[in-house]
Amino acid sequence: MKTETAAKASAAIADMENDDLLSAFPEGPRLLGTRCGDCGREMIGTRVVCSSCVSSNVGTIALPTTGTLYSFTRLHVGGEGIRPLGYVDLDNDVRTLADIREGDTPLEPGIRVELGVDGENWFFAREASETKGHHHD
Amino acid sequence: MTENVHVISAAMIPFAKYRTSSYVGLAVPPLIDALRSAGVDKSEVDAVYVGHSYGGMMTGQRICKEIGLGDVPTVNVDNACSSGATAIHEASTAIAQGLIDIAVVIGVEKLTQFGGGALPLSPEDREVKQGIIMPAVYAMRATRYLYETEATAEDLALVSVKARKHGALNPFAQFRKEVTVEEVLASRAVADPLTLLMCCPTGDGAAVVVLASERARKRLGTSGGMRIAASVLHSGHVEEGFRDMTRPEISSRSAQDAYAQAGIEPKDLDMIELHDAFSIAELVYYEAFGLAERGHAADLIRDGKTTFGGSVVVNPSGGLLAKGHPVGASGVAQVAEAFWQLSGQAGDRQVDDARWAMTHVTGGGTAGLDHGACTIHIFEAA
Repeated sequence: MKTETAAKASAAIADMENDDLLSAFPEGPRLLGTRCGDCGREMIGTRVVCSSCVSSNVGTIALPTTGTLYSFTRLHVGGEGIRPLGYVDLDNDVRTLADIREGDTPLEPGIRVELGVDGENWFFAREASETKGHHHD
Repeated sequence: MTENVHVISAAMIPFAKYRTSSYVGLAVPPLIDALRSAGVDKSEVDAVYVGHSYGGMMTGQRICKEIGLGDVPTVNVDNACSSGATAIHEASTAIAQGLIDIAVVIGVEKLTQFGGGALPLSPEDREVKQGIIMPAVYAMRATRYLYETEATAEDLALVSVKARKHGALNPFAQFRKEVTVEEVLASRAVADPLTLLMCCPTGDGAAVVVLASERARKRLGTSGGMRIAASVLHSGHVEEGFRDMTRPEISSRSAQDAYAQAGIEPKDLDMIELHDAFSIAELVYYEAFGLAERGHAADLIRDGKTTFGGSVVVNPSGGLLAKGHPVGASGVAQVAEAFWQLSGQAGDRQVDDARWAMTHVTGGGTAGLDHGACTIHIFEAA
């Protein structure tokens, strides 16, 4: 006997297919993000569902290349040498973990940073025009 | 809670590196000791809850079969550093609801299997792929906390100094040697501003507690021990954008719920075992638990308010920093410490007239979350 409605199968997400955060956009290399077409929430990475309103009406966006360094550490373990790592609050209120490139001036929370790309690697560094910190308190 | 739940016994092996012991070898001795001490025969156990993160398949059953404890439900629980305390929460909830009378809770972990270094996190997590490790997460909390407040690296060191002072009194602690502020600051850099002595060690351990209903406690003729006045478990909530890493919402919320359940205030607590995986955590949690005003946690550690003789003794066991942190075992070990403290069995580290104790573990490095899981318990001496 055939029922009037049949249970539909849920579909798996192929989220391991390509999990690179850096991607080529017309405007140049950018970090990949997702924007919810219903509530407008923007998120890091490629998503198929909005973590805020659970809408599937989501699309890929290029994330802003500038933001504020929330915090950072210089990691001395788990690899070779010292690795500066930080959380950057991008200008669309999306936070990303990022390698931070140190310059002549020591890093401090609150400084403006911008995306830099070096081959396949990407990082954030103090904004060239940065003169003083903007504090996100 | 509908029915009173009691902790009627506790046992554990000292935390250490047991390279020649398996999960079974670590956990069976305290399992036997806890049952004996409770006066509970294995046939009287209604359920077993086992917290671990890296034990592999059927860790609980592998342990229990060694003493012929079977048939009853065995529940294996993974919630990272909250695994053991989550197991207690589940056992406590089942007893409170009148489903069972006697539960055994085992917390066990063998970190020496990884050969040292930072805790392996899920390779599926986005930030783990980018190279995040727990020391880096806590280090970023520390950087920001030092930036926003008057606290200094010396204050971070003072937390370690206190932990080691307490650990020196605790035969169950992995580190029993005291250290100075200078030694802490001069130890190897791990993740700035955290040095090696501001980080908990890796090691192995197992702890076991027996929980019983009021009815079972009367039947067994048990006196003393402690009543579970609050048992709270929360999961982290994702934040895609700005998050204040110095105000851990999951721990604050859990503490508020626990105080409400127990009907007490922070000032009523005589002791706390909190999740000092890295020294910054202790300062941040003083504020999350309402012990200190925003930005003033360091005052407590500077003024000795959280050591013996202070207003509330924090981590009398030495905490994760000195006692050690075999992930899945820590939550149960904290409750064992509370049990010994509230029943006057804590030896050289006894907190005077201890009546109220709180235990707190929170764990898991997951992108977008403050922590994956947080468990808080409050106990009253029975």
